[in-house]
Amino acid sequence: MSNVEQKMNQNLSRNIDTNVKVIQSLLKQNDDVVERTFYLPNQQGNKGTLFYVEGIVDTDKIERALKDLMYTSSANSNAVQTTSTESNLAMSIQTHMSHNSSVKVANTLQEGINGILLGDCFCIIDQSEQGLIFSGKGGEKRSVEEPMAEQVVRGPRDGFTEDIRTNTALVRRRIRDVHLKVEGLELGTKTKTTINVSYINGIVKESLVEEVKQRLNKIEIDGILESNYIEEMIRDAPYSPFSTVLNTERPDKVAAALLEGRVAIFVDNTPFVLVVPAHFWDFLQASDDYYLNFLTGTFIRWVRYIAFIISLTIPSIYVLLTSFHQEMIPTALALTIASGREVIPFPVLFEALVMEIIFELMREAGLRMPKPIGQAVSIVGSLIIGQAAVQAGIVSPFMVIIVALTGISSFSIPNFSASYSIRLIRFPLLIASGTLGLLGFIGMFFLLAIHAVSIRSFGESYLAPATPFKPKDQKDLLIRFPWWHMKNRPELAADNGIREANEKPAPPDKGNSETASNKISDEMNSDANTTSTANKKDASVQRKKSKRIKRKTVKLKDLMKDKNDEDQKSQDNE
Amino acid sequence: MKIKITNGMYMALIINMVYAKSIGVTQGSIARDVGSDMWISTIIATVSAMLLILLTVMIIRRMPKADIFDQSKAMLGPWVGKLICLVIFIFFTLSFGPIMVTFVFHLKDFFLPEAPLFLFVFIAVLVGGFAIYFGIEVIARMALIGVFSILLLNGLLILGALEDFDVRELLPVFEFGITKPVIASRHHLADWSIVIMMCLIILPLVDNQKEWGRSSLVGVIFSFIFIVMWPILETGVLTSQVTSQYLIACMQMARSAHLGFFLHRYEMFMIAFFGISILTQIAIALLCGSVALSKLFGLKDFRPLIIPVSLIMGGYGYWVVQSHNHAMDILENSWVSLSLSITLGVVGVVWILGFFLKKKFKSEKG
Amino acid sequence: MIRKLYKLVILMAIMFILTSCVGKREIDDLAMVMGVGLDLVENKNGEEEVKVTAQIARPADARGQTGAPSGQTGEPIWSISATDKSIFGAIRKLENLSSRRIFWAHSYVIVINEDLAKNGIKDIIDFFIRNPELRMRTWVTVTPDDASELVSSLTGLEVIPGQSIEGLFKYSDITRAAPRSQMIDLHAAYLSDATQPYVARLKLETNELSNQTPEQGEMYKNVTHAGTGVFKDDKLVGTLSAKETRSLLLFVENIKSGVSIIPCAENEEDVTTFELVHEELKVIPDYKEGTPEFTLKVKTTGKLVETDCAIGFDDDQKIKELESNIEEKFKKDINKVLDKIQQEYGVDILEAGNSFNNKLPSKWKEMRVNWDDHFQDATFHVDITAEIKSGALLIEPTESNKRADE
Repeated sequence: MSNVEQKMNQNLSRNIDTNVKVIQSLLKQNDDVVERTFYLPNQQGNKGTLFYVEGIVDTDKIERALKDLMYTSSANSNAVQTTSTESNLAMSIQTHMSHNSSVKVANTLQEGINGILLGDCFCIIDQSEQGLIFSGKGGEKRSVEEPMAEQVVRGPRDGFTEDIRTNTALVRRRIRDVHLKVEGLELGTKTKTTINVSYINGIVKESLVEEVKQRLNKIEIDGILESNYIEEMIRDAPYSPFSTVLNTERPDKVAAALLEGRVAIFVDNTPFVLVVPAHFWDFLQASDDYYLNFLTGTFIRWVRYIAFIISLTIPSIYVLLTSFHQEMIPTALALTIASGREVIPFPVLFEALVMEIIFELMREAGLRMPKPIGQAVSIVGSLIIGQAAVQAGIVSPFMVIIVALTGISSFSIPNFSASYSIRLIRFPLLIASGTLGLLGFIGMFFLLAIHAVSIRSFGESYLAPATPFKPKDQKDLLIRFPWWHMKNRPELAADNGIREANEKPAPPDKGNSETASNKISDEMNSDANTTSTANKKDASVQRKKSKRIKRKTVKLKDLMKDKNDEDQKSQDNE
Repeated sequence: MKIKITNGMYMALIINMVYAKSIGVTQGSIARDVGSDMWISTIIATVSAMLLILLTVMIIRRMPKADIFDQSKAMLGPWVGKLICLVIFIFFTLSFGPIMVTFVFHLKDFFLPEAPLFLFVFIAVLVGGFAIYFGIEVIARMALIGVFSILLLNGLLILGALEDFDVRELLPVFEFGITKPVIASRHHLADWSIVIMMCLIILPLVDNQKEWGRSSLVGVIFSFIFIVMWPILETGVLTSQVTSQYLIACMQMARSAHLGFFLHRYEMFMIAFFGISILTQIAIALLCGSVALSKLFGLKDFRPLIIPVSLIMGGYGYWVVQSHNHAMDILENSWVSLSLSITLGVVGVVWILGFFLKKKFKSEKG
Repeated sequence: MIRKLYKLVILMAIMFILTSCVGKREIDDLAMVMGVGLDLVENKNGEEEVKVTAQIARPADARGQTGAPSGQTGEPIWSISATDKSIFGAIRKLENLSSRRIFWAHSYVIVINEDLAKNGIKDIIDFFIRNPELRMRTWVTVTPDDASELVSSLTGLEVIPGQSIEGLFKYSDITRAAPRSQMIDLHAAYLSDATQPYVARLKLETNELSNQTPEQGEMYKNVTHAGTGVFKDDKLVGTLSAKETRSLLLFVENIKSGVSIIPCAENEEDVTTFELVHEELKVIPDYKEGTPEFTLKVKTTGKLVETDCAIGFDDDQKIKELESNIEEKFKKDINKVLDKIQQEYGVDILEAGNSFNNKLPSKWKEMRVNWDDHFQDATFHVDITAEIKSGALLIEPTESNKRADE
């Protein structure tokens, strides 16, 4: 290994053949590395060699680069002629000959090799101690498709892809703001995966960004293949079944999170983007909530909350009722349950555990199988388990209903990693209530609740804003308030001042003969005299509005100031 | 301790600390004394509790950063300070008796009569001890969930009981004169004494110092609203005679609640909510006991003491609940007199001595 | 921290395994009692003993096909009985009979034979309220028939007789002939210092036709409501008939409707039926010269639902007349019941003591010790206003017009 490193750290030699030999020795046993030799069209006819990895480069770009190097217009060749004797031949090619948009000069072999492996093409030229890196990244990639795991009825249909640039572009296309920052770093000693940390300056708390970067920089690992590698290494409460980092395939969700003052972490080669900090409730909220009428949005959100409660507690409650507290079941129902269980040879707890496991098996099998077979699995599963097991008297029909209900409920939780964690935590609850009855249920529920309350996600309480209770943030918890009502950002944002200054929409006042355009113009110059016909109420509304606008401008000024300071800082740093 | 809790959490702690026992066990005791005037006794006790809690706020305000232990140490010297630590630790150990009575009898008598007694105490202490390991802030947040569950429980009960409510049972008011309800209010005031003691320890941690008095009062008033519903419904639906017959009167109330003819009982769901509240109360009592003991030994952190304190308090709780008779005797006689004398003693002594030793505070502050 | 968590998990696991399933019993291991009958019987030595009959549901047969194959014996219920000196003794003997644990919590109804009720039902009340499993909303009834027969015969539309008895209480608001007496009310009334308990009365009546041989007339028995059993403390002292119970219900329940039948003015045999859609009673207690006095203000509104007489709704005179007829009849009914309760049984089941206490608590203190005696001396003034508001759909009487020209 040290041999390889030694070679890598070498400077380029003036003799092209030595360089080519070194590169060849480093990249031998690689079928996909292509070597292309050419001669420059100058008087000396310097020999040049181009290296690239086939498949991760765009061949068109390579060809264009070659064209620049081999044919050249008279003006350019003159320039090359004059400078060719100088030592910085590479520089003159970069400035005078190449059309490539991001051609770089490489001084060491290491840069060149890294460039080759990243999907660029590395060019060395005889009599030059510098090489050139033409950007040629390309190759096959998946196009933007509808996200598989999170679908919406109304809302944008684009989802993240495996390409990090596409992903950041999808977000930037949504937030065209100068404050949107996409900071890059590279993680993984072998994979050299690109990581982007994105946030909106001024909205996000600076300490949060610092914390995220600090945690990311601590990571030492050879390879990162999926964002979960990072998620597990930066999360709080690493042993907890609750996930404290939100992952999503939806650019609109990331954009919304950024606007709330969160930080997004893009990882190359995976469509799943991480968002921190995450509250428990974020996992139960879908994008649909915000794209539909707020009443509908609230309703479906409640449906999901109920689904959560059902999938967490229903099996436990059923076991609790049928094996400990039968007196609580309404008599008619108790008879029905008893009649279904008449021939079942197993205790309820055992039956429940077995059925839950069978359900998980079916779900897993349906997921892993190729799609057409997956459907067959689910048909076989539902037929065998649902019908035959009941008729054979092994499982009671009620238990099938309970397990199915639990399954359906857990599917309606929009974030699948959250739905997995809920599946996990219902087992201790089930076992506790199956062995100790109500006492076990209460005790285990309390333990789970204490655990959930005690964890934090990047400094934010996991169950906020429910507990600790944040009155200002309630507008987006139980009820999704109309957009014109959500005037503030959540408390986790640094700038949680006015987010919007909308009034409740209302039809124009009929008594007032002003036209809409008049009104708008009035609003524009808020200090303009109100017309004598306008009544007092109107005036007061306008006063309020102007106040708000003033406040907003003050906020903006502050922001601008911050921004300037920051620019100053960055300049200083440079 | 740098940890701070918000005023809202503080109110939630107050509500959880007083709720569980007051709605049933206490009401049974009061009903045995004053019949249908239960709710009047409840009001009287609440008013006296308000006065006491204001007094507590006054005391802590003198040295806003120090709890009762530190204050008494600064004021009266280390030995008296340690004595007060000991007294408060004993108080919380004693308070575990009634708390355990409430928890164990609710679950054991009505749901799991065949389960062994130690299991209930064991689980209570285990869960409580686990909870306080995370510190006061987590429990304070849990208390908010507790309040939420109390709300649900009350709502469920009202749904099921209002149909059978008969206002005639509440009349006539002051059936037994005025003195008797005042005397009977001692049972409820004993519940409040736990809150007062908790405030002496927790108040310095509360965020907004200006609002201490108001938050305390609002907390008491909210607790009162949640609690007073029970004696009124118990009288109106069950009649005071029935209430007085039961050890856990609120369970009888919950048992008789029904939604139409189909859901003829659903007390299990109410108890599930109730459980969250009372487990929070257990956790807070354990926490206060541990803090008191850690101050007694001069430790900086209370966590090493969780297990011994849990054992002591759990053991005492087990000793109390081992028989109904025994439990009732302790609950209605010795607990009431001991808790009230300790609370009034500590609060009164510290308050009065504070006037003579004002200089000490100033020197401490400087 | 994590070590501690592991320890905790292991501790919990051990605890669950060691103590697991404390008090656990599966729902299919229970013999769910749907109704209880209590009789007084004499044993061989001529001593009085209690006979407890339990009507136990067989879930598979009671529910039929619910997916799982079931043992079709055909009988939805299984009735067993045992006798002993005490209820507890008899119940313990029942446990020996049953292959499953007898589970009382779902019992719809407790039927007590009147002979047993005359000896006192305190122990029954105590048993059923002391046990946490048992529900507070069981119907408590007395019967002149054998309680064991009543709970073990298949009656009504339901497959489980307990259910059909509950149905009687639930759905027959207009014509119900028995008070809704649940254990919780009985318990409260027994403990109360002012009111005395009363319970519904059930009877077996032969009025069901056989579908195969209808010509043989009624041959199957059915359970019906048959008035009220009146208690003094815990002992049955008398009964009220179904008709009398109607008037009693006005005092003790919040009933909203009833039926009143008035003979026509022209022809005594023809009758007019009114449905009383709204009844309201106000009891105003008073105290005069050592005896309590009560003014009963009854307000009722009715609607004409059936008539043989020629009553047109535009005839104000006639309507007035009818209203006064209703009032008179009502008054007679109420007075009759009052007389019976006051004079014959001498117990306050009307909650009159309660209202007296509410209004005049100072006087109540003197009288509460022997309230029943004072109640016997009390005078009741009945003041009734009836109003007929509609004739349902019709305004004109249903009269043939063929002879209208005469």
